[in-house]
Amino acid sequence: MYPFNLRKLKDLLFLVITGILSLLMIIPLLHIIFTVFVEGIGVIIRVGPIFVTGTLSDGGIGPAIAGTFILTFLASIIGIPIAFAVGVYAYEYPDSIIGRATTALLEIMLEFPTILVGLFVTQIIVIPMGTYSAIAGAFSLAIILMPYVAVYTKEAMSQIPFTFREAAFGLGISKIKTVFLIIAPIAKRGILTGLLISIAKVAGETAPLLFTAGGLYQSYPQGITNPVGAIPLLIYTLVQSPSPSDHAMAWGASLVLLLIFLGVFIPLRLSIKEVKL
Amino acid sequence: MIKIKSVKMDAFDLITYPAVFFVFLLFLWMLLVYFTNSLPAFQREGLNVYLKNIWIASEIPNKEYYGILAAIWGSLYTSLIALAIALPLSISYSIFVGDYLPRKFKEFMIIVSDIMAGLPTIIYGIWGAFFLVPFIKNWVMDPVYEYLPFISKFSQKPASGFSFLSAGVLLGIMITPFISAVVREAYGMVPHTYREAAYSLGLTKYEATKILMGYIKPAIISGVILGFGRAIGETVAVSLVVGNAFNLSANPFSPGYTISSLIATQYGNSFIYEHMTSVLYAAGLFLFFIGLIINLLGIYLLRRWRKNVSL
Amino acid sequence: MEVKTKKIAAIVTIAIVAAIIAIAIWPHSEEVTIRTTGATFPQYQVQKWINEYQKIKSSVKIEYEGGGSGHGQEAFLQGLTQIGRTDPPVTEEVWNKFEKTGDRPLQFPEVVGAVVVSYNVPGITHLNLSQNTLVGIFIGDIEYWNDPRIAQDNPGINLPHQQIIVVHRSDASGTTDIFTTYLSLINSTWADEVGAGKTVEWPVDKMGRGLAGNGNPGVVAILKQTEYSICYTELSFAINENLPTAALENKDGYFVKPTDNTIKEAVSKVSSNIPVPEEGYKEDLKQLLNAPGNDSYPIVAFTHMLVWKNINGKHYSHDEAIAIKEFLKWVLTDGQKPENLAPGYVGLPEDVANIGLEAVNSIEVP
Repeated sequence: MYPFNLRKLKDLLFLVITGILSLLMIIPLLHIIFTVFVEGIGVIIRVGPIFVTGTLSDGGIGPAIAGTFILTFLASIIGIPIAFAVGVYAYEYPDSIIGRATTALLEIMLEFPTILVGLFVTQIIVIPMGTYSAIAGAFSLAIILMPYVAVYTKEAMSQIPFTFREAAFGLGISKIKTVFLIIAPIAKRGILTGLLISIAKVAGETAPLLFTAGGLYQSYPQGITNPVGAIPLLIYTLVQSPSPSDHAMAWGASLVLLLIFLGVFIPLRLSIKEVKL
Repeated sequence: MIKIKSVKMDAFDLITYPAVFFVFLLFLWMLLVYFTNSLPAFQREGLNVYLKNIWIASEIPNKEYYGILAAIWGSLYTSLIALAIALPLSISYSIFVGDYLPRKFKEFMIIVSDIMAGLPTIIYGIWGAFFLVPFIKNWVMDPVYEYLPFISKFSQKPASGFSFLSAGVLLGIMITPFISAVVREAYGMVPHTYREAAYSLGLTKYEATKILMGYIKPAIISGVILGFGRAIGETVAVSLVVGNAFNLSANPFSPGYTISSLIATQYGNSFIYEHMTSVLYAAGLFLFFIGLIINLLGIYLLRRWRKNVSL
Repeated sequence: MEVKTKKIAAIVTIAIVAAIIAIAIWPHSEEVTIRTTGATFPQYQVQKWINEYQKIKSSVKIEYEGGGSGHGQEAFLQGLTQIGRTDPPVTEEVWNKFEKTGDRPLQFPEVVGAVVVSYNVPGITHLNLSQNTLVGIFIGDIEYWNDPRIAQDNPGINLPHQQIIVVHRSDASGTTDIFTTYLSLINSTWADEVGAGKTVEWPVDKMGRGLAGNGNPGVVAILKQTEYSICYTELSFAINENLPTAALENKDGYFVKPTDNTIKEAVSKVSSNIPVPEEGYKEDLKQLLNAPGNDSYPIVAFTHMLVWKNINGKHYSHDEAIAIKEFLKWVLTDGQKPENLAPGYVGLPEDVANIGLEAVNSIEVP
């Protein structure tokens, strides 16, 4: 009976080790969320509603929140239509040469170091314009947004059974109508969820904004060709300060960012089966 | 009107082709910007830009000289540490979630992993700077120095928590969900018959899993490659914990630099120097190509494997 | 089905168009926003000025941005900021780049400050550093806190056998420039092996004992987190963060702690020579360094602002030019009064402030 027991023991040990390591994997996240809440809640309670509406000298991060929304919104306007078309294309021609190249390019862009996008946009927009601007920051984010949206669109549409297409073509409906008016609406839910998850993802980006958005924390943004701030950028600056009050601000801002992210992400995530991040 | 007879362009193509064209153009444009802007650095210093550890920023252009070897080393080193941490975690997670957990907990674990993947990196950054750096100093570095002084690397009292190790651990935490996603997907794709065959031979779960892991090895490798790509490109979180010192040390406890952190800290003042901007673009180009090669390789391996499985 | 989709498409289109219009004609309020970027050496002072000025002139918002003197010069050059800040006077090379824009740059001192040596060694609140010891620490020769050279400067103090961690700047920094210029001035080994500049190659980095922070705030943040470290920063950071500062050996051989008085003493012992703002590159950074006198603190410097003369309205709009002129006029007059100075800074001598005023007056309003 001895060898049998050893095998059982090994099996048990295996279970315990994988279990512990899996737990170890999620502990950092739980600790991060816990820490951000504990450290961030204090300053928000102390400052009150001013924290989300006031300017930096009032003790608030209002302009940064506004900036993040403006940047994300503009990035969506720029990025989504293009990305949607690219995703539809990749869905329609999965096997053509361009179609395969497109899919490969999207996957490369998904993994691309975001700081490189920021530098690129600085070179082509910020320096020629002679000013940091919301539009430059948004363009940076749009470049990062596009591959996500395209891939989600493609995958959501691929889920739709092929028979729908055949039926549509059989009725003599053109390709464009089939794809945009039949397949896309059926895949609407998947596409929309993908869109929102992508948007939630870029809203938290820092590196692409470093040399493009400029930062604006004493007043609210004044137009898309002027500099804007963003919550992640502000946190990055505040973390590098020695003063405890700046650190408290940084935690508070992190809590706001975390709540925005979780508020968007969790409901969406619960509504679908898979995400690609 | 020019008539193109061989190519049929319908309305669908008219809408989608420009978008596809634009994305390709954007990518090539990016490559071009990095290439043209880094050319002066190569003309001036040749490959020494990559092969030397030197950083002389002078406003007298003749004296300027830059070599980013320390940053390249730091990027590779921290990413490797990250992989060493992420790999066992990801594999365990995939097995545990795939084989042992009841459905309810399984969903929870997967959602947690997805949240980790999407969490804004600056939140990892603030946690890294304020919690992880002192934690690693007090609970890893100091004990190791205390109890393992006979290993020459650790015979000096560690200076501070800002180090390759802290950056590596933080990156490891950040890339674990990405590798997990690939491994878990692959593990789930293993045909049922294989599993059944293994059990019918009377193998324990452990023994069966060992065999199945061998089967999905290519997927694990591509997951590792993709994780490496993520790690090497990460900027702000690493910049806040790595110490930003030009240091070629192999000691994981010493501070260092990474390519992306170098760009983030230096680009804002590079234009007042004659040659620094170009060197930073050369650094970017390096990152560009590493990212490109790594990702292409990872994607290629994953695709090949998926094809094999689905056959 | 199709009708419904069209409806949705129409609504989405309208929403997007409306949003674009809304953003394009964003409520342009009466507020003017001025941005000042660069040196973190005068951070507390500039922030104090901004806060005080906001009280008397709420229609002008001033956005403070750090990044270091190098970033200040770069952002100014590219028009990314209205008021650049740099501690050391701009060099001729960079000045020429400014002039190539077709506008005229103007540079003038805004306030006087001191670079202090601060440290984080538990239990030690007073530290004397002779000139050679100071250089020895920052060049990496002196590896441990209980080195005989440090002990010799500090008889009776129980120094720990711990490695010294040197915290320096990662960005191109005026504070670094002032500090390394001083070290080059007092020590020829430093001058030959490391030299002076906004960025230098720190020998301690390659020994694994160097750490770098972004801006003075970044350096001080790392110092506070790292036991047995030492750094150089502006006096105000030491005051605001309650950090001990070392007494440095001055030109006449006395150990002097940085205070308002010892800075003033240094300024009074030398006659400052500020060139006209149109030729700012001619200014000598070294003029306030290593001043004679028993009580003179040795590392004292002017920190400067950069503005454009705005020829043909090249850089500033009408409103911006007016706002900038008013703000800087206030900075150079009322702003120099003791109640508007932040701890750790000393106001400009009046003749120096007047040079700045001349520059401000010459800014053209389109």
